[in-house]
Amino acid sequence: MGKRTIIPFGPQHPVLPEPVHLDLVLEDETVVDVIPSIGYVHRGLEKLTEVKEYTEMVYVIERVCGICSFGHGWGASAAIEGAMGIEVPERALYLRTIWHELSRIHSHLLWLGLLADAFGFDSLFMHCWRLREKVLDLFEKTTGGRVIFSVCKVGGVRKDVDSATLREIVEVLKGMAPEIRELADVFMNDSSVLNRMVGVGVLTKEEAVELGAVGPVARGSGLRQDMRLNGMGVYDRLGFEPIVEEAGDCEARCKVRIREIFQSIELIEKAAMDMPDGPIAAQVRGNVEGEFALRIEQPRGEAFYYTKGVGTKFLERMRVRTPTNQNLPSLVKMLKGCDFADVPIMVLTIDPCVSCTER
Amino acid sequence: MSEAKYAIQNFELLDLLELIPKVRSLKEEGYRLVQACATRSADGTITVIYSFDLDHVLYNFKVIVPENLEMQSITDSYWSAFIYENEMRDLFGIRFHHLALDYGGHFFKVAMPRPWNPEVVQEEEKAPEAAPEERRLTREEMLEIMGSEVEE
Amino acid sequence: MSFFRMKKVVMNSLFKKPATRMYPVIPREFTSVTRGHVEMEDPEGCLACGICAKRCPADAIRVDKSKGVWEIARMQCIQCNSCVETCPKHVLVMHAEYTTPDPEKKVDTYQLHHTEPKVAQVGDFDPQMETGDAGLVCDKESCVFCGLCARNCPAEAIRVDRAEKLWEVDKDACMKCGLCIEKCPKKCLTF
Repeated sequence: MGKRTIIPFGPQHPVLPEPVHLDLVLEDETVVDVIPSIGYVHRGLEKLTEVKEYTEMVYVIERVCGICSFGHGWGASAAIEGAMGIEVPERALYLRTIWHELSRIHSHLLWLGLLADAFGFDSLFMHCWRLREKVLDLFEKTTGGRVIFSVCKVGGVRKDVDSATLREIVEVLKGMAPEIRELADVFMNDSSVLNRMVGVGVLTKEEAVELGAVGPVARGSGLRQDMRLNGMGVYDRLGFEPIVEEAGDCEARCKVRIREIFQSIELIEKAAMDMPDGPIAAQVRGNVEGEFALRIEQPRGEAFYYTKGVGTKFLERMRVRTPTNQNLPSLVKMLKGCDFADVPIMVLTIDPCVSCTER
Repeated sequence: MSEAKYAIQNFELLDLLELIPKVRSLKEEGYRLVQACATRSADGTITVIYSFDLDHVLYNFKVIVPENLEMQSITDSYWSAFIYENEMRDLFGIRFHHLALDYGGHFFKVAMPRPWNPEVVQEEEKAPEAAPEERRLTREEMLEIMGSEVEE
Repeated sequence: MSFFRMKKVVMNSLFKKPATRMYPVIPREFTSVTRGHVEMEDPEGCLACGICAKRCPADAIRVDKSKGVWEIARMQCIQCNSCVETCPKHVLVMHAEYTTPDPEKKVDTYQLHHTEPKVAQVGDFDPQMETGDAGLVCDKESCVFCGLCARNCPAEAIRVDRAEKLWEVDKDACMKCGLCIEKCPKKCLTF
């Protein structure tokens, strides 16, 4: 046994702007044990539901995360709709799906940029974020917000998108596709990138099940697990089939996300084509009574929402469990036995959103 | 849309004693832990909800927490539950026995102790903590043991 | 092969327009729906009903009816548009320009000139509403129980059941904004 050293990693670390602290126990250059600590930015948003009306609470829940904000708004609204038995109009479901997939593109591009930044490829980082900007502009044009949209409400959506704008969204995304393909080429074929990712941080399929990995982490390990399969939105009508990679290493997780960007573009195209006419929101009357639990596939993985009302304007409990919460154990597993220099990359490939973990 | 998988709501109320056997049998059936959370109703009863997933269908069960706020940890079967159990410890003051990775109530940095359950005064606030027998090392203890060798 | 690929990227980058803007010189263009900040457009028309403050998820708005003051904490506002949507008098407007960064938490205060009971301009309701002793009443003789008042009530204070010929008002919830009186087709509502 070599000499053991403890290296503190975070909460302030150049590679990730989020406050996660890891105590890395090293033996020479190899990580033998990891103790994660979070909780630096606990915001008490779940507690806030007890004093905010459920209709307005959706806009607060959205702020759980600055990247998957639409998904959180959708999840919270859907959980309340489920408890109240509200049927959401078709058009609203299509719009939600489109916005959700747009935020997936934006999240994955952001993540690709951060990954490039983590292994020191800064021009690649800039290019990824340049493309992401176009998606943000689409958001601003359709919802009025660039990052936080406040467009999803209980019963439907707040803004309609006319067919000209829909066509424009599809056009912009189609124009982006070749550029993203160029970037993807660097991520998947460049030797300097591959050297950092292939065979690093392997999570086997069994471990992924055992530790309850979700999202691209699970799919990168060969699990066919995607909450878009469970009937939320209109994914079943768009012929959705999750993307799965078998290798389980950092490269596999990266590939899953790259392929998901192209898949999302296709999904949006199809959804924009079949979009039915009709109302965009259902009437919401009365108070929430009863409980409902559901999950939604966010860019980072499965998020869980549980809502419980007791017949007042305020919810008794709104539980939001974000994907990173569930991926932290997998991260700990991945890190054991890895090289110290690979720690930042591995932390990044689970796409951590630590602040979301602490509602 | 009611036939959609996400709309299937399984909620079951279990007795506290049934918890561990149930979790073990779910594990054998191949269920994946989705989450665990506590809720507090107006009359003060705290309920823990465990959610599991098999093939995209949720299965939830509830356990009512006894008044002494002590429960068995499920980290034996599902190691990843340590996050949720530490969270419940911090927010509700529920203490879990045999917790695989116990942060001792310091997982989240909250402005007030146990925001959902502030009335309860916990053991460690009354008297300095006597170490429970069966427990793995906490982060602080680990750092202490390692302390002599730490190089920074 | 990779040399040509790289050359292509370099050449493209040389001749393409930059993706960025000369920021302070060239201002940002906002879209027509951009939510930047909330503005009190017409302090005269504001009823100080407080529905905006009640609906604000971030507790950014404070309304003091007795002093006739409407306040918004700029740093707290999350631009969700809730207040603009619920305002019965449509005196709140969402502007596209973002709030400017500030070293201090800024609170904008608007004087509403409401300090003394003001003569009502809406419909035919009485200035007596300011004193608060007479609540909203419905003349059940002419009422058709259409429910339009209940549907338009921003405070959800009115309950109408056509089958049971029921018309109820929750006097604590009623903001006395007068919107129901405006919408009533039979003009059977009065304060």
